Amino acid sequence: MPRLFLSLLATTSAVLLPILVMAAEPGSSTLPQLDSRTYPSQIFWLIVSFGLLYYLLKTKAIPRIADILETRQDRINADLDRAARLRAEAEAALKEHDRIIAQAQAEAQRRLREAQDRLAADLARHQAQLDAELARKLHDAEARITAAKRAALAEITGAAVELAQAATKRLAGIEVGVEEARAAVLRVAGKGGS
Amino acid sequence: MASPLQQFEIETIVPIQIGGFDLSFTNSSLWMLIAVGLTYWLLIYGTRQHALVPNRLQACVELAYEFVANIVRDNAGKEGLRYFPLIFTLFLFIFMGNMLGMLPLPFGFTFTSHIIVTFTLAMGVFIGVTVLGFALHGAHFLHFFVPQGAPKVMLPLLVPIEILSYCVRPISLSVRLFVNMMAGHTMMKVFAGFIVSLFSFYAIPAIAPLAVSVALTGFEFAVAFLQAYIFTVLTCIYLHDAIHMH
Repeated sequence: MPRLFLSLLATTSAVLLPILVMAAEPGSSTLPQLDSRTYPSQIFWLIVSFGLLYYLLKTKAIPRIADILETRQDRINADLDRAARLRAEAEAALKEHDRIIAQAQAEAQRRLREAQDRLAADLARHQAQLDAELARKLHDAEARITAAKRAALAEITGAAVELAQAATKRLAGIEVGVEEARAAVLRVAGKGGS
Repeated sequence: MASPLQQFEIETIVPIQIGGFDLSFTNSSLWMLIAVGLTYWLLIYGTRQHALVPNRLQACVELAYEFVANIVRDNAGKEGLRYFPLIFTLFLFIFMGNMLGMLPLPFGFTFTSHIIVTFTLAMGVFIGVTVLGFALHGAHFLHFFVPQGAPKVMLPLLVPIEILSYCVRPISLSVRLFVNMMAGHTMMKVFAGFIVSLFSFYAIPAIAPLAVSVALTGFEFAVAFLQAYIFTVLTCIYLHDAIHMH
């Protein structure tokens, strides 16, 4: 749409302009722009000054400005490069640091585990020794108790036999042999329980 | 009182006749040379320190450089940067011509308010761009006048329209600049004239045209820049057409 409008405007101008120029008889115009007698001079000096400016800019000013901008850009790029390099270095150092920390942690953990294992092993060993000792002592004690019990029983049986002999002799006046008395005691004791 | 159009009068300073042509050095020629000298001096003086951190003038110079470079890059692509010196010259010359025309001097003159000047510039652009188009694409450049995707039956109508719209480019380009400069300066002169004629009767009413005059002056500065910018952008767009077609 703007393109169409532009073309329309341009077309109108294209039609109108020659008419305007033709209407402007040399010298008769009140509009100085349409005085075609001044055209050669204006065109000539336009070409001269434009050409001069073009030459001056192309050979002097533009290289100079471009040089300044390029120098600045180079400087900025160099600074950016250096910043990137330093950053990479810092990152590498950080990574190395992390690696060392991780290594140290792993080492510490390993030692801790070793110590724990050793302690647990020691503990188990000591426990086993203690258990064995206790078991032995218990066994000894049980043996001693059994022996004492047996001795006591034997003593009680002996006393009961003598008591039976004496009682029989005193009450019945019968002399009873040791063997007979023992058998009788044992028979009664067995009947009576334990 | 002088006519508002008197400011556009060409006055001969040094008469020069070469081969039957009147190539006199005129007020127009003088201001063109002043524009060239001032532009060059500003660019060179502004960058005299080659400062890494620019001072104000150098910042302006760099700003102008990058401004035009961006116009070229945005509108004509990277390939267009080859023609950057020409576009830069074009922009600065027109811009300086428009701005110098704003100087309130008794012998002040705006050379861009003359159709022949803007037309010569536009013709230069037009011929240059057309030659470039044919040089880059050969006869294939004629395809530029065939709109893509248009129905075949429409082509006999569309192609002449395309060719016509292409050929009126220098006219629209030059008329736009010339009319803007001329109309603006005429308006300023007319309103300035009102101030004087009203003031000779009563002082108070003269404030109204004065206010308009102040506003118009600011407006004219904007137009002076804008027209240089538009001329440059359109030149870059034409350049883009020649380099890339479509």
